[in-house]
Amino acid sequence: MKPQLLFYIGKGGVGKSTTSAITAVHLSRNSGDILLVSMDPAHNQRDIFQQDFSEKARQVNDYLAVKEVNVDYWIEKYLKDTEKTIKRTYSYESAFNLQNYFNVLQFSPGLEEYALLLAFENIIHTFEDKDVIIFDMAPTALTLRFFSLPFITLIWLEELLKLRSQIYAKKEIISKIKIGRSQIEQDKVKNKLEILIRTYGHLGDHFKSGAARISLVLNSDKLSFSEAFRIKQKLKEIGIHIESVIVNKSESRVIPDEIRKEFIDQKIALFPFSAKDILGYQAINEYLDENSEIFTDLREKSNGQKANLLESR
Amino acid sequence: MIPVLKSIKERIVSAFNAADGVMRGKAVETIEYEVGELDNIFAILVLGAFIGIPSPPIHVTMALLPEMEKEMEIMLEKVSTAHDPLGDLFSVLGID
Repeated sequence: MKPQLLFYIGKGGVGKSTTSAITAVHLSRNSGDILLVSMDPAHNQRDIFQQDFSEKARQVNDYLAVKEVNVDYWIEKYLKDTEKTIKRTYSYESAFNLQNYFNVLQFSPGLEEYALLLAFENIIHTFEDKDVIIFDMAPTALTLRFFSLPFITLIWLEELLKLRSQIYAKKEIISKIKIGRSQIEQDKVKNKLEILIRTYGHLGDHFKSGAARISLVLNSDKLSFSEAFRIKQKLKEIGIHIESVIVNKSESRVIPDEIRKEFIDQKIALFPFSAKDILGYQAINEYLDENSEIFTDLREKSNGQKANLLESR
Repeated sequence: MIPVLKSIKERIVSAFNAADGVMRGKAVETIEYEVGELDNIFAILVLGAFIGIPSPPIHVTMALLPEMEKEMEIMLEKVSTAHDPLGDLFSVLGID
């Protein structure tokens, strides 16, 4: 069975890393093998767990491993792989002339979210045996670009394929008139476009399918609520549904009315404010012991799906 | 068949084939020009970043680049000879 993918998104500083770490530890105590992935370049998980993490997943307990995505590593790997392919397929002179372009390519806009997408693709293939993979996402702007990338790419690819098919059809006509039959080489670019459309379609499906479950983290203050509202709108535009809302650092332990009204279709969970810093594995466990009602409430509010995830081992 | 007649027949067939080839070539001249232009538009759309024109997300360009060496050469050639695009078009359409 493929792992469930949980994404923690929200404004910078609302506590995505803390709530995702708490959820990861909770699930590792209850629901099988868990992987927590830090997709945020700030990499707060190492501060929360008080341990060093890297691209290589590191076990925190028997059922929880943590991994950091190093965006620079993925950009460098991507550029090197592309350069190798170009050098293999292009004549020496052309490849040599492209060298200067590659030197500035690393500064191209859009590479950061593409690197995240490459890392994401690698993670879901490498860790197929996990029960749950939790993604602690980057702040809003980068996360929205990450989620929209497959869909924006698909728009381009589909338009390019239309044009390429038009060219191919005209070449076929020319061949039929000139030599009486269709005799043109297979169009490698058209084939490549079709492969890319399948790949990005599949990636986009991951975000829209039931396997990907998005939790929007916010605080009770006006600013984080406004940004959460905009995130919801933006994701709706690309057809991605937010499954649950987490009101973090709640001092009153009451869900504000405006949050309840705005997120009527979402499950809402409260993560109570902690007077002491939640730093270290031990501190997370203590927080969970003190606030065991968080996940009980969430389970009761769900319609079975989340309950499966949170069932005791 | 008498060799002379055979030779005449071969010449007629050869002349007919040559005329057929010319006519077929003429028939597709305009459409070939159109395909050439469409090829160039496609190349500019995908590889525009190389000549300073906004292009698709960079990963789309990079994914297609290995298959587009020929288009890349044509595009760069067209950029350097783009001073007289109307002259190019008029010569294809036979306008003096």
